[in-house]
Amino acid sequence: MEGSWNKLKFCFPIISHKLEYNETNREKLDELCKELISLNVLDEITQMLCLEIQNTLLKQIVPEFWKPFFENNLESQSNNKAKQKCEFQIFRNAITQLFRRYQLLNRIMVQVKYLESKTGKKLIYNFDEVFKSSLLSQLPDSFTNIVHAFYYVSFKVFINTKADNDDDEEFMEEREECLGCEMLQLKCQCQELVNAFGEINLCLTKMGLLDRISGYTLTHLIQNEIYNHIQKTCKGNFDTQHLKNLEKWLDTIVLEWLTRIYNNGSSKLDPTNTKIRESINCFQMKLKYFLYEKYANSIIDQFFNIIIEFPESQPAIDDLKLCMEKLDLRAHLVETLKTSLKTRLLHQGVDTCDIITGYVATIKTMRHLEKSGILLQTCTEPVKEYLRKCRQDTVRCVVTSLIEETPSDLAEELARSEAIKAEENERNKDEMNNWQEWSPDPVDAITDSEKHSRNRKSDIISMIVDIYGSKELFVNEYRNLLAERLLINLDFNPEKEIRNLELLKLRFGENLLHSCEVMLRDISDSKRINAHILESETFTSTAEKDEPSVSALIVSSQFWPTFKKETMELPDEMNKIFERYKKSYEEYKGNRTLCWSALNGKVNIEIEINDKKLDLTVTPAQATIIWHFQNQKEWQLDSLSTVINMPPSVLRRRIGFWQLQGLIRETKENLFVLCDEKQQDCEMETQVNVVLDEEETMVSANDQREEELQVFWSYILGMLTNLDSMPLERIHQMLKLFASQGPGFEFSQDELKSFLQRKVREHKLVYALGVYQLPKN
Amino acid sequence: MKIKVKSWTSVAWWKWIANDENCGICRMAFENCCPDCSFAGDDCPLVWGHCSHVFHMHCICKWLNSQLNQQLCPMCRQTWRFNDR
Ligand SMILES: [Zn+2]
Ligand SMILES: [Zn+2]
Ligand SMILES: [Zn+2]
Repeated sequence: MEGSWNKLKFCFPIISHKLEYNETNREKLDELCKELISLNVLDEITQMLCLEIQNTLLKQIVPEFWKPFFENNLESQSNNKAKQKCEFQIFRNAITQLFRRYQLLNRIMVQVKYLESKTGKKLIYNFDEVFKSSLLSQLPDSFTNIVHAFYYVSFKVFINTKADNDDDEEFMEEREECLGCEMLQLKCQCQELVNAFGEINLCLTKMGLLDRISGYTLTHLIQNEIYNHIQKTCKGNFDTQHLKNLEKWLDTIVLEWLTRIYNNGSSKLDPTNTKIRESINCFQMKLKYFLYEKYANSIIDQFFNIIIEFPESQPAIDDLKLCMEKLDLRAHLVETLKTSLKTRLLHQGVDTCDIITGYVATIKTMRHLEKSGILLQTCTEPVKEYLRKCRQDTVRCVVTSLIEETPSDLAEELARSEAIKAEENERNKDEMNNWQEWSPDPVDAITDSEKHSRNRKSDIISMIVDIYGSKELFVNEYRNLLAERLLINLDFNPEKEIRNLELLKLRFGENLLHSCEVMLRDISDSKRINAHILESETFTSTAEKDEPSVSALIVSSQFWPTFKKETMELPDEMNKIFERYKKSYEEYKGNRTLCWSALNGKVNIEIEINDKKLDLTVTPAQATIIWHFQNQKEWQLDSLSTVINMPPSVLRRRIGFWQLQGLIRETKENLFVLCDEKQQDCEMETQVNVVLDEEETMVSANDQREEELQVFWSYILGMLTNLDSMPLERIHQMLKLFASQGPGFEFSQDELKSFLQRKVREHKLVYALGVYQLPKN
Repeated sequence: MKIKVKSWTSVAWWKWIANDENCGICRMAFENCCPDCSFAGDDCPLVWGHCSHVFHMHCICKWLNSQLNQQLCPMCRQTWRFNDR
């Protein structure tokens, strides 16, 4: 008995709690077996040994394996890189030791199994299962951190070895640190790390622990690296396609690294090992979809910027298109785009024109993404609704940018009309021939698809006009704007406008635009008639010396927007000339006569006053008013009102213009006096000072500048009320003139511009065709 | 103060000198054109009859052409004769 126990202890030191293994030959083991059988304890001893092994596992091996993982979690290392390196070593040591013990226990198990075989019974558990479950039952929370660190360090080293080949050599030499292991180049540990890495993975594979210990962390790590890689290489960079390179990066670098982990350190897969191949392929598929999703989402998240940069950002859209073939991202795209359009475009701080520009850019971008236009329709519905409900000046802005001198998206688009028309005809023909190829709309098409299907396919201008759903409204606004423009700028060259009109006709049809055609024809006819009349006998024979040169725009009243009913009496001198003009016209055209619209037109006058010469272009009303002060320096409002045939309230408003010029002031109520002596300028000055003093007590230093300009706001209002519309330069010029008589602040045209633009944003001014106007109520 | 008008551009609309405003045939204003025309004025002139009625030339000609026997003014039913004013 004693001898048998000693033999047992010799063969199995583990029975006396020693984690050792004695290489015992078969005879010794057989001998022990016989003795144990004779004692009738072989079953018990076999089971005891198993229990002892299990105990050793649970009480010694497993706690000792996990111990450094706990400890490491307690100490906090400030240096992250060092920490990662340290964690790499911890993991490496722990796994190495674990593997050694695993092998040792395995050898003991072989002997125990031999004993078991002698009992003829099934007494022993599956060692590998017990080994795994014991290990994982004591899993500390922090273990993934260390596993992560281990693979992260290795991944960086691997990436670096791959990158070495591509990088510029000179660039590499300049670096003191190795990018892989972050050690000095001379002490580079990369190779060592790679070796250790391969060795540890092999250990894990042999223990059957690779998936259990590393799988989850590995997936996360790679996903994280994919995300970082996308952010690093693609963010904000829309002018090249990235998808191919990303896929290549995944298929080569990431996959090779993964293969090495699962394939015992080799990147070459054994073609017969289908199990590894399948699991790697599966991993690859999952990662690829992850890549598509993350990349597509990163594009979608930056979609507004992509819209702004379109068409330069076209490659990003092409990539998104590819991703959308693989994943359903439509709902996400619609939601994201709707939200960003709302936050970036649809609020008070954005000019209507800028909203339209954004809308046009969205149309262009989305059209590139999706031909059918269904997503576009869904995404831009809120924009259209906002423009319809909150921005009355939409049509005006659209028309303005269509006919503006400076190139705009819309003008460009209009210029493409002819090409589009031809394209459309071609397509219609195709559609008739290829009706078999018709495919139904995707399910997220908005319900009223019938109504929209036509304009989905049509162009930007039609989509813009569609905001209001009516061509007529758009064309009407165009007509009004054209009329205004022609009346403001009388020596207008209609050539460009005729070209625009031709293009617009292609879109909206001849009928709706016919009156515009007549208007433009009136312009060129007037020039001809003018030339004829000014040379006619009737007109020239009675002309006086130094007579002002006159001209007229003769309009076909039925085709123009209605003129103001308001009228006035021209100065006699002018009246005589225009009467002669009319006579000549009647002679020239037989049975036709002219009705003057005295308030329309423009006058260039030179005023000589106080040794100054002012050269001004003013309205006929303003010219008439100042004309009457030439021979009579003081006027009662009422009497001037009678002479000019203008209601006193309107007259007072118009006199305001000359008060601003400092030429007229109201000395008593309703008494207006010409300021043609110098000392009277002082009066103006004190007036302005009073206003300023009040302002200054109220404003902080920061607001001073704005407030100084604010002083002029009422004057700007006055000017625009009288002049209807003025370009920036004119407003600046006039305010300078005024300021020179006031306290004399200096402000640049740019300062004035930003001030006026702010007023435009506040909807207190309208900016169109290069001139500022008061909004029409 | 001395004012010198360098140039004065005015706006006027042209009007037929006629004792009516609309063409009795097409009901359009004289300053508009007849339904067959695009432009008024020179392109779609007026004509006067001895009865003092006025029409778009195109309108009265069309009317007269449609009358089989008699050439009557559609307004006063008198025989239509052009008045060359
Ligand atoms: Zn007629
Ligand atoms: Zn006609
Ligand atoms: Zn008649």
